[in-house]
Amino acid sequence: MNPTRRTILGASAAGLVAAALAACSSGAEGGGAGSGDPVTIGFVAVGPEGAWRQANEQNIQDTFTEDAGYTLKYAPATNLDQKSQIDAFTSFIDEGVDLILLSATEGSGWEESLGRAQEAEIPVILIDRGIEPDDTELYATRLAPDNVAVSTSVAEWAKSTFPDGAKYFVLEGPAGVSVVNERNEGWAQAMEGESAFTDLGSQTANWSTEEAKSVFETVLKSNGNDVQLVFAQNDEMGLGAAQAVQEAGLTPGEDVKIATIDGTQAALEALSEGTLSFVAEYNPLFGEQALEAVGTVLEGGEVEPYIQIESTTFDSPEAADEALPDRKY
Amino acid sequence: MSTDATSRTSMLRTLLHRPYFWGLIAIALLLAVNSLKDPSYLAIGYNANTGSLVGNVIDILRAAAPIAMISVGMCLVIATAGIDLSVGSLMAVAGAVSMELLASAGGSAGAALAALGLALLLGAVLGAVNAVLISVVGLQPFISTLVMMLAGRGLAKVITGGQNTAASNETFRWIANGYVLGLPVVFLLAVLIVIAVGLLVRRSALGLMIEAIGMDPRAARLAGVNRRGLLFAVYIASGALAAVAGIFASASVMTVDVSNTGYQLEMDAILAVVIGGTSLAGGKFNITGAAIGALLIATLDKTVVFLGISSSATPAFKAIVIIALCLLQSQRVRDLFRARRAKTAPVTSDAPKEAVAA
Repeated sequence: MNPTRRTILGASAAGLVAAALAACSSGAEGGGAGSGDPVTIGFVAVGPEGAWRQANEQNIQDTFTEDAGYTLKYAPATNLDQKSQIDAFTSFIDEGVDLILLSATEGSGWEESLGRAQEAEIPVILIDRGIEPDDTELYATRLAPDNVAVSTSVAEWAKSTFPDGAKYFVLEGPAGVSVVNERNEGWAQAMEGESAFTDLGSQTANWSTEEAKSVFETVLKSNGNDVQLVFAQNDEMGLGAAQAVQEAGLTPGEDVKIATIDGTQAALEALSEGTLSFVAEYNPLFGEQALEAVGTVLEGGEVEPYIQIESTTFDSPEAADEALPDRKY
Repeated sequence: MSTDATSRTSMLRTLLHRPYFWGLIAIALLLAVNSLKDPSYLAIGYNANTGSLVGNVIDILRAAAPIAMISVGMCLVIATAGIDLSVGSLMAVAGAVSMELLASAGGSAGAALAALGLALLLGAVLGAVNAVLISVVGLQPFISTLVMMLAGRGLAKVITGGQNTAASNETFRWIANGYVLGLPVVFLLAVLIVIAVGLLVRRSALGLMIEAIGMDPRAARLAGVNRRGLLFAVYIASGALAAVAGIFASASVMTVDVSNTGYQLEMDAILAVVIGGTSLAGGKFNITGAAIGALLIATLDKTVVFLGISSSATPAFKAIVIIALCLLQSQRVRDLFRARRAKTAPVTSDAPKEAVAA
């Protein structure tokens, strides 16, 4: 008796889920434009992290609209937690979406989930964040600005600004994230063999302004204020370091030059005021390129395993002033 | 002369039996290690421009202030045999609401006061929600505050629209960056609040009643202790103190980072309370200990940076220090040491006395 009852219960539960799913998908189809079935895309996203991420994810959401023939399901991570991303990823597979866009909060640990997507024949396109180990078999393509190139551009600027060398400190993002590894790599490669430059060390400030201020105020003390250059791996940390420099009675931009990556509006304003000295853009607006890649992949076409997004750099207040009026993020 | 010496040894002995004794030792050790790296580590200078004392120790005091706030709240909650996992998220909520208000209301002192009041009120209200879930609905504190931890960060994101909001207001900024008599305002405020809470619970029967419901709720009820009222009081206090911590944290850079402000600080607070000698099982609590625990965690954080320990090794380094400290505090481990010493030397009568918490 008992087993039968359980099956009936199970069946009715499954029925309920199916009905709910059907309701969902029919709702989605109803919203689509008249021209054929809209393509359903699951976007496993990072969520609130900073202005850069906000611009990037908003741009993706604005590009894959229903007018363009897409239904985008946006699933941001809870507190940058990878587990919540894997859960969202898995439920997109179960749901049977047509394609998954993934911005991984952490690089490693994606093999199993990506393998399952492959079995279900759902192509995956990586947005910005890469995976580790970087197995290109597991995904269709990755769209991102080149972190190594961006941080190399910061190092090149440092070399030209300090021809006689300088003592520098690096404010990193959280350890283990692919972006951090790549930004370190570009910087380290360009700085290798530069005997005039002294590496005072590096420390994580978890992308946060508050932590960067606290970390850098201690770094200044432990080096007797003898630091000429800070390489902050994102804008927020650079702005925090600038506050620490001011509190120490020094002038950012003169005593300590701060270079950051991202190019958010707040950073460009600071560059225009001279508190930051160099901002390398890490272009977040590549919805159009993503749209193109998604189209090709869904038609069964071949795409390059890595599509590089072009970025620029800002090295003076004038350059910042020029770019500020139409900065979108 | 001899009486002076004996009174000094007896003072030392009572200090040794204070639960936070090992926390103080750990702080001293960390400072000593830093001084080894740089002999002038403990030096304190004077900055005539800002009228402030400058030094690594001052930085530590400033960094300890927000942790001390949530630790004191956590200490009271833990004494009732509860736990408050939502303090970190409530910090983000308080930061979010004050930054949003300041961003639209501008730089006047009135706006700063309004932001302060609103943040404190919201912290207290969310603390009261915790209290309702626990004392009226009867959910476990762990679950109720876990829900609030998730909901709180969500609420912070809703308040700022998912963005990290920045604002400028000199009065508000002064709270975290200003100086009075050369000392950081944020530290003085934290000390005042710790003393006020300490006096409130120890100079009245409040502390005893909180301990009573933590030790044995049934006996406390039979003795006529109002459990529900007390639970409301401690969770509201914890929420409001978390709001103070959130104000300190966001005022320091005048930015709220909805994902990072207060992130995982509930763990720091719990650690600080445990280091301070309050048992997670509830009952006897020690506010001074919690404040010293907070100071230790701030010292540890600053030491990691000062010594230049690499980012990937930082959590391991912190874990090692804390495990060592917990081992030293554990009665069993200390008994083990004592037994070994007893084998080699005759024991001086050293019955473990329950130290009365300050």
